[in-house]
Amino acid sequence: MTREYTGDDMIVATHIDKFYPNGCHALKDVSVTVKRGEVVAIIGPSGSGKSTLLRTFNQFEEISAGSIMVDGVDMYDKATDINQLRENIGMVFQSFNLFPHKTALENVMLAPLKVAKRPLKEVEAQSTLLMKQVGLSERMNNYPSHLSGGQQQRVAIARALAMTPDLMLFDEPTSALDPEMVGEVLDVIKGLAKVGMTMVIVTHEMGFAKEVADRVVFMEDGALLIDDIPSKIFDAPAHPRLKQFLAKVFNSTWVIKVRI
Amino acid sequence: MQSKSGRWVGHGIYALLMFTLVGAIYLSGKSINYNWHWDRLWPYVINTEMQDIPAESDGTALIADNGTITIEFDNGDTPQIITQYDNKLISNGDLIFQGDSVAQFNNWRFGPLALGLWMTIKISFVSLFFALLLGLVFGLMRVSNNTVARDLAFTYVEVIRGTPLLIQIFIVYFFIGTVLDLDKFTAGVAALSIFTGAYVVEIIRAGIQAVPVSQMEAARSTGMTYYQAMTYVVLPQAFKRSLPPLAGQFINLIKDSSLVSVIAITDLTKAGREVVSGSFAPFEVWFTVAALYLLLTGSLSWAIQQLEKRLSASD
Repeated sequence: MTREYTGDDMIVATHIDKFYPNGCHALKDVSVTVKRGEVVAIIGPSGSGKSTLLRTFNQFEEISAGSIMVDGVDMYDKATDINQLRENIGMVFQSFNLFPHKTALENVMLAPLKVAKRPLKEVEAQSTLLMKQVGLSERMNNYPSHLSGGQQQRVAIARALAMTPDLMLFDEPTSALDPEMVGEVLDVIKGLAKVGMTMVIVTHEMGFAKEVADRVVFMEDGALLIDDIPSKIFDAPAHPRLKQFLAKVFNSTWVIKVRI
Repeated sequence: MQSKSGRWVGHGIYALLMFTLVGAIYLSGKSINYNWHWDRLWPYVINTEMQDIPAESDGTALIADNGTITIEFDNGDTPQIITQYDNKLISNGDLIFQGDSVAQFNNWRFGPLALGLWMTIKISFVSLFFALLLGLVFGLMRVSNNTVARDLAFTYVEVIRGTPLLIQIFIVYFFIGTVLDLDKFTAGVAALSIFTGAYVVEIIRAGIQAVPVSQMEAARSTGMTYYQAMTYVVLPQAFKRSLPPLAGQFINLIKDSSLVSVIAITDLTKAGREVVSGSFAPFEVWFTVAALYLLLTGSLSWAIQQLEKRLSASD
């Protein structure tokens, strides 16, 4: 895809509202901007609309009002080919969602082969390299069912990177993992942050958000309450709702397992 | 877990029961004073009788030293020359009339039962292919977002599943066949594949719906279109889940193919009926026909099991 856009803003979401058919108001006038090369963490209690917001960025959720520009393209413009746009947006899911009938390497190779229609040799070389980068060279010919959760999630990240996207979306990438596997996945994401990948991460890992994110967005009940740098959010939370949320998170037992 | 000896006892009891059953069938055969003639059946499977070579016209036969038979025709046509035969029925200088058997040769050929079996295999597998195709197309329509497509697929399934196959064969052959000028084989294949296809639709729909929605999402997230995601991600998984019920449906197809005999297709069943009237050995014929069907369905179910085993590599 050839595009002239080289502006600073990767995602510009303006005044987006989302209603579910049952009338539930899932997103309430949310506006957020993600700059190129920025890592933005979205935090908030369950049901606050974090994942819904993330999923609007590749149109897995349609919005009811407002507008979303991704990499200079208006997502809801009639002329926009959403499939072409999604090639440029990698997504990593909470439950990995690897293709169970394909080996780890084949999972990574599928989109470059079938969507980008690049030659097999080239795709194989690139995918092997990606598997090496996520530390799974040894296991790339295994089927997902023969990999641990952490390994599966790393394959999923490699799969999302295979189309060389400019933007990566992470939907609670470590929530379905056993505690001892959280670290290996977070390390891969940190590596991506270091090389300047633009990322939006919905996460419950406050320590990770603080360490990696350039900005943290706090959501509650479908509304975006705070959008600030991590130190402001975690060290000097001003908003009472945020204070309450953080207090709950840091007092609950599961946090003990999390690396802070 | 059962102990090994316990299993052997079980197998033993099973063998005893089967032996009793077969014995009972044998004895009941005896009790009705039926003369079993299995030997009569063989020519109807493979015919090894000598075949006649008839004379093409009236004339005189000449036999050369090397055995070549030449028939000089009275009307002066090019003589008929027979070099290869196994048994000659004439001597040198005999007068020959058109249609006389001059010689015979050994040449086995398939009898009606074997030809019927071949027809059943042919009609079943051609229908299987089209049933799968129909099932796939309408199955995809059944799960699509397009209301028209969904309604069409729903109608197809309900109409076909709700009417007897026998009636469908009559309608396809006598009505559609007349309108479109179909031969009986095409009509038979059409009826069978439309009928089986309706069941395949539901099997495929269930298979597709058993694949988690997240698989479609994961595929779409890499930029695949709906059809690419279906082709490379959802359908392969759905197919794997559908194999056991598909196997059952295809076995039904082979058995259902016996119904096409009503439109004068000489399949295994019709061949059986014809052979019964020729051989006067109905019991032998029907047991043989049943065994041949069992052989067909057994091989198919074995083949699908092998496929299942291969596909289970990713489990």
